Amino acid sequence: MEKKLLVEDHIRRNKRQTIIVCSFMAILFIAVVLSLGYILFAGNIIIALIFAIPIAIGYVLITYSISVQTVLSAAKARPANPRNREEKLFMYKVEEMSIAAGLPMPKVYVQDADNINAFATGKKPEEAVICATTGALNKLKTDELEGVMAHEMSHIKNNDILIMTVTVAVVGAIALISELVFWSLFWGGGARGGRKGDGNAIIIVLAIIFVILAPIFSRLTYLAISRKREYLADSNGAYLTRNPEGLAKALEKIKKDHPRDKPKGSKTVAPLYIANPFKSVSVSSIWATHPPIDERIRRLRSM
Amino acid sequence: MLLWIGIIVIIIVIFFLLIYWGFYNRIIRMENRIDNSWAQIDVQLKRRTDLIPNLMETVKGYMKHEKEVLENVTKARSAVMSAKSPQENIDADNMLTGALKSLFAVAENYPDLKANQNFLQLQDELTHTEDKIAYSRQHFNDVTLAYNNTIETFPGLWFAKRMNRKTREMLQIPEADRELPKVKF
Repeated sequence: MEKKLLVEDHIRRNKRQTIIVCSFMAILFIAVVLSLGYILFAGNIIIALIFAIPIAIGYVLITYSISVQTVLSAAKARPANPRNREEKLFMYKVEEMSIAAGLPMPKVYVQDADNINAFATGKKPEEAVICATTGALNKLKTDELEGVMAHEMSHIKNNDILIMTVTVAVVGAIALISELVFWSLFWGGGARGGRKGDGNAIIIVLAIIFVILAPIFSRLTYLAISRKREYLADSNGAYLTRNPEGLAKALEKIKKDHPRDKPKGSKTVAPLYIANPFKSVSVSSIWATHPPIDERIRRLRSM
Repeated sequence: MLLWIGIIVIIIVIFFLLIYWGFYNRIIRMENRIDNSWAQIDVQLKRRTDLIPNLMETVKGYMKHEKEVLENVTKARSAVMSAKSPQENIDADNMLTGALKSLFAVAENYPDLKANQNFLQLQDELTHTEDKIAYSRQHFNDVTLAYNNTIETFPGLWFAKRMNRKTREMLQIPEADRELPKVKF
């Protein structure tokens, strides 16, 4: 009984943090677009506003609406085939976990890849997608796969999939704008500000510096959200299966796994997976997409 | 002065009405969720009793010397179908789970049967249905617990009393049963 309350408290706290982090992201994004407008139109704030706001909103809406297809095609995922026994049992597990979580059955996809991994995406629980690699289906035992699916189902239940989709879109946009500004400096556009020779020039220079540095902030915020949510999805997932050991064993296998082929997909979507497919940073670091795997296993085993 | 007191009183009343509205909707939503998850359990139980005749049909030809095992499954199945109360239902269903478990264990001795695609599919699906039954019961208990917590703690307690709501009963599922569906083949 106490544990249940604990999980619910976690979810509540998670929601609050999400709102704070997301508003920070939104403010950062608007500031970046505004700065871009300011740089382009040499300090005319009103034109900058007229220019910036529709583009920013339009961009986020478009990325939001095509996000699921984007992620699925980045992962080269295909719908699971019920004629294949392994994939059928995988669909069964997803259905069981959706029942345990009291959510509608998500669409089930498979990514042909040798490494052990899985992710969930979608805008809302009713349109969610769960995808696992063929490596995960081959190498994980039933209870381990169940643990991984429970983790993904918790991402869906906690609405992480929406937050991550939107933040992926925003992080991508900020990176794009920043690169645009950075390269335009080389084309000699930087001289434009100097020619004016008034107070605007300083603001424009500051705006340029801000835009170039912005991706660092957005990326760090994004990674912080991602790490927080992994712990929560781990504990909620364990609550769904009543068996933390399943996921713990799966994580251990992921740790020891040495896939033959190179991971597919772009690095921006890496935080969507259950464990970072690129494995470049495995220690605790502000640049890590996921918390250290040993710490996740330790927490699961101490439940 | 009187005007101000009046305004404050009205604000407080509106405030309480809003909270009451919120809790009313919340309690109703939770009740619907409990009813829905109850229906979900029934769906899965029905699915399982539907699958068993197919299984018997497939197995019959191979397992000629296992009359008792087969009879136990049939008996347990009819017990599930005739169960009246939820607890009776659970007991009968546990019996069925046990009977199926021994059937699948005995099946290990029949290589021809184990190679039968139809049998394999039924085995997978029955295991899946058993897991679904276990998880839908677990979900039923989860939503019931959340409901009970809401109406037994302040301030939900106060509103639940006005709405004449009492705590709902959870299903008694022994811990060991939760392990049962995970049959090793």
